[in-house]
Amino acid sequence: MGTIEKASVLIVDDEEMVITSVRAYLELETNFEVHGFTEPEQAVKHLENNLVDIAVSDYLMPRMSGIQFLTRAKQIQPEASRVLLTGHADKQSAIQAINDVGLYQYVEKPWENEQLLMIMQNGIERAQLLRELREKVSELSTAHSSLKDVQKRLLRAFL
Amino acid sequence: MSQQPDAAELDQLRAKADRLAAQLAEENKMASIGRLLASIVHEVNSPIGSILSNNQVVLRSLELMKSCLASGDAASLAKAKKLVETCLSLTAIDKIACERISDVVRGLKTFVRPDSSELSKVNLNEQLQDTLKLTQGEFRQRITVETDFGEIPLVECHANMLNQVFLNILVNAGQAIEGEGRITVRTRLEGGSVHISIGDTGHGIKPEDRPKVLAGGFTTKPVGVGTGLGLALSKKIVEEIHGGSLSFESEVGVGTTFHIVVPVEQATKAAG
Repeated sequence: MGTIEKASVLIVDDEEMVITSVRAYLELETNFEVHGFTEPEQAVKHLENNLVDIAVSDYLMPRMSGIQFLTRAKQIQPEASRVLLTGHADKQSAIQAINDVGLYQYVEKPWENEQLLMIMQNGIERAQLLRELREKVSELSTAHSSLKDVQKRLLRAFL
Repeated sequence: MSQQPDAAELDQLRAKADRLAAQLAEENKMASIGRLLASIVHEVNSPIGSILSNNQVVLRSLELMKSCLASGDAASLAKAKKLVETCLSLTAIDKIACERISDVVRGLKTFVRPDSSELSKVNLNEQLQDTLKLTQGEFRQRITVETDFGEIPLVECHANMLNQVFLNILVNAGQAIEGEGRITVRTRLEGGSVHISIGDTGHGIKPEDRPKVLAGGFTTKPVGVGTGLGLALSKKIVEEIHGGSLSFESEVGVGTTFHIVVPVEQATKAAG
């Protein structure tokens, strides 16, 4: 399969203006499906019911930090890429989270649109590749078991 | 037999203690400034990010619009109309973002005035509003700030010093509240003084700690965060420098309210 599916992007930031700005840029330059949430809990619900290629989250949010949110995202959809938006002050926490949360990248605020886009494109490609890989492995596994099944029946027929 | 320190040694020790106190006060001030700056940077980061992004999108949209209008066909005109709508909404956001940044800058101005020994007559309600702007970053969404500003006359004072007192108490109030809560700021004229109260719905101050709070050297904040001098300095500013009073009442699990009373006029002029 060579076609790239339409990418689904999740953005979480307690500041509405950040979501609006990023959405406007992405809608102008790409055909991504953008889902923005100012409430991390609602973003979690979205993840439970919708396939997402990349989740971008702010770090400092009132009720749930970006790291807590991305940890939940990892549990619900491990193949989706995870990106953290950080202010300079929380850069250290972001670096520590790279391993714990399996962060794909972190982006410092104020962000540069082109840099964000490039990271998102790479993150989306990674997620879609991982998903395709899993599906292929699953197909192989199924094919392998049915082959073994056929093999068993053939052996029985001749013994 | 133990030797008693003589007068000269005592003077030396006293001088050393004063120097250390001044040093600690300066460190406390720098630590407060550090915290303040971190919260301001955070407050300003998002609006700036939005403005930069929107600016780029609007520029690009204008270029696209130019070519759409040049081609003139129905599809291009429809696209141009859509681009106009996007630009309008992004420009509206830019206005809000710019206002947010200027609010913070305005709040900072109250701290930029050099520590002059000159008194000036200021409107404390306005001073409080400006100081509150600096706490917006930390408080927004987590803490509701209610203000009840009474009719008060201009107060003769060292405005930047009183702003430091207000900021100190406000920051403490914010830190006392775990999670969500409310801070209430009230001002009233009472006789020849203005009474400012700042109340919070935080964890309150334990009875055994109450005598220590204004005395200096006491802090419940982790090492490096609090030096325990903020309130002692605030007390000095309000009581010794302005001839007012600084007090508080508190209930564990309910909250704390600080009361700052400052005379409207300073008795610096010679009588007669």
